[in-house]
Amino acid sequence: MKCPLCGRDAVSDLCVYHLEARDKVRAAYPLWVKAYGRIEWKDYLDNVKRNVQTGQWAKEIVEFLQGV
Amino acid sequence: MGYTLVICEKPDAAKQVSDALSGGTSGSILFEGTTVYRFRRGQEEFVVCSALGHVYGISDPLEERSVYPVFDVEWYSSDLVDEKSAGIARRIVAIKRLAAGASKFVNACDFDVEGETIGYNLLRYACGGREETALRAKFSTLTREDLVRAFNTLEAQAGQGLARAGRARHAIDFVWGVNLSRALSQSALGAGHRYRTVSVGRVQGPALGFLERREREIREFVPVPYWKVAGVFKRDGGSLTAAYSKEKVETKALAEKVRSDCLGKEAVATAVRKRVVQVGPPLPFNIGDLQKEAYRAFGYIPSRTLQIAERLYLCALISYPRTGSQRLPPSINYAAIIRGIGKIPEYSADATELLKGDLEPVQGPKADAAHPAIHPTGETPKRRLDASESAVFDLVVRRYLAAFGPSARREIADVSLAVQAHEFKIGGGRTIFSGWMRYYGRYSGYRDVELPPVSEGNRFLTSEVVVEEKFEQRPPRYNQSSLLEKMEREEIGTKATRAEIIATLVGRGYVSGESMEVTDLGLAVVETMARYAPSVIGTGLTRDIEGKLEGVEGGSVEEAALLRETVRTLAGQLAELSLNEEAVGREIDSAQMKTVAKSFVLGRCPACKNGELRVVRSRTTKKRFVGCSNYSSGCRASAPLPQRGTIRATTKACERCSWPIVYVIGSGRPWRLCVNPNCPGKRKP
Repeated sequence: MKCPLCGRDAVSDLCVYHLEARDKVRAAYPLWVKAYGRIEWKDYLDNVKRNVQTGQWAKEIVEFLQGV
Repeated sequence: MGYTLVICEKPDAAKQVSDALSGGTSGSILFEGTTVYRFRRGQEEFVVCSALGHVYGISDPLEERSVYPVFDVEWYSSDLVDEKSAGIARRIVAIKRLAAGASKFVNACDFDVEGETIGYNLLRYACGGREETALRAKFSTLTREDLVRAFNTLEAQAGQGLARAGRARHAIDFVWGVNLSRALSQSALGAGHRYRTVSVGRVQGPALGFLERREREIREFVPVPYWKVAGVFKRDGGSLTAAYSKEKVETKALAEKVRSDCLGKEAVATAVRKRVVQVGPPLPFNIGDLQKEAYRAFGYIPSRTLQIAERLYLCALISYPRTGSQRLPPSINYAAIIRGIGKIPEYSADATELLKGDLEPVQGPKADAAHPAIHPTGETPKRRLDASESAVFDLVVRRYLAAFGPSARREIADVSLAVQAHEFKIGGGRTIFSGWMRYYGRYSGYRDVELPPVSEGNRFLTSEVVVEEKFEQRPPRYNQSSLLEKMEREEIGTKATRAEIIATLVGRGYVSGESMEVTDLGLAVVETMARYAPSVIGTGLTRDIEGKLEGVEGGSVEEAALLRETVRTLAGQLAELSLNEEAVGREIDSAQMKTVAKSFVLGRCPACKNGELRVVRSRTTKKRFVGCSNYSSGCRASAPLPQRGTIRATTKACERCSWPIVYVIGSGRPWRLCVNPNCPGKRKP
């Protein structure tokens, strides 16, 4: 099975790089909630996607999650 | 009675040795197409010849270059190993014939692992087994004084340990590199259609591993917000800006509370602390320190700095650069060198000043038994130095002078301002005694930040509180200098090879650009190795071998035993790779294709906004040009390209027209080019 985001061999549904990126995107959400007091998951994804500091694989995961 | 045959490492060194020993009277002759120098020194007749770096190299006896594993390796003349070294065969013939008439042999190659290996191999293979009986000339500069002293105190068996370690290192690195590279290249060839060398060396693997780990951190990075708070405080018509004592405020609510608590309130200077700190001079240069400093000061990559330093050494302007030492022994004659430097007008005032006092340089912790820290020789340039040579020479001279300078003194000041329950801080610093900074000049890197005059108890009005939303920054990519530093810290590679290994990573296409972004191919190589041959990219095994090579040098580890151990380790990893050849090949080949495809992409198309501008080759004219990937959808953005040299994407867009900027790398200096022929920046006024 191939990773739908990059075509590399998938470990489960994604490749090892995008799996790690997904973990990081999920792990950062509570930190954003704490920082702003409140932020919806959807708005969080939009903000992460727009941020210039966000890594390439993290951005691809955000787009993937937004499409699901 | 025959003559004394002196073997040097490079032709320039042979000339310097001949000039020094003959007092400038030696004449050069062309012998079998090779320049040699012949002269008398007292009763002794000398013939001085030179190698051209390594004239013998390791190879395997098999003709078939695709077969692996290969563990039987031998030393061959380099022309048989590498077809680019064709001129070496003629040189070896010349040295063989010269050796036949010699009664005494002197190894005058650079005194380090590589130089000793070069000299040992020539004495063994070209001079009929003289490696044990030849004498050793040991010197750290090519000045007349140092060379004459070295030849007046020739030593026997001086570098045998270095030669053993050097030969073992070459054999291990060859076995390592050739087997893994063939395994990967053949796997990729089996899966694809194009052969391309995919290499993994003993040090190259772990170095690529460092880059890959950092690349993953960067690409997986998710920024987290924080807030920065600063206050503007007014008093008697003047104002100062101070930062909130907590550098990163984690929540927006807290940042806003600081603002509402402080705005319009009175602030009191609760503490004004001033202290004077001593700043000692920088340590004398070893090669790693010089490479890092040249990168910081001039942007030179490490391999370039090494080349420049070697040229300066061959001109007898600086000491031997491939040294790990940060120490300057008194035997180099501190005062004589400074007097020599003082003859160059730009350093004369500094030299005169230093010579007024006692000369006691700062010494670093790292020592090297073979050579002192890099230092100027005190000679003045006999030819015009080019810009890069002048820059590195100036850096070496100023670093040497600075080593003798007294500690500098800087006044550091901190002010704390209390507003309600909150604290703001402001800091500054200025140099009150320049000490060594005077000698190190613009390289010293300290700037003065003056504090406004504030005394304890001064009261201010908090006129403004600025709350700024920020995000955590992703880690920076390694550049060539920081990677070199990482390799040093992790103790992989040697001072002589690290720069070359970094250049190989770039050359193989594992990283691209100045910021060393790891390509798909680089990622795939590490991923493959991590799965099937993990110790190849770990640092443990490489560091262990480095330690054992030091044992070979010292005589506590046997060369053959270390090679056998390496072969055993490698055999297991190769078997695993071989069993999974198909999967390995698929991964590497696919990554190669992606990397090649990406290398043609120059950037976003400014015309259609969603296509990519790429390097395309015309089917009819065979010329290359820039075209948009949306051509089939109607985008006609295109531009001509220079037909010579390599085009390398920069990921940067032109500030004037938004078209991509590329580097054109030809035989001369690389140049930046905006690919848009109609760029306003190119139009003449």
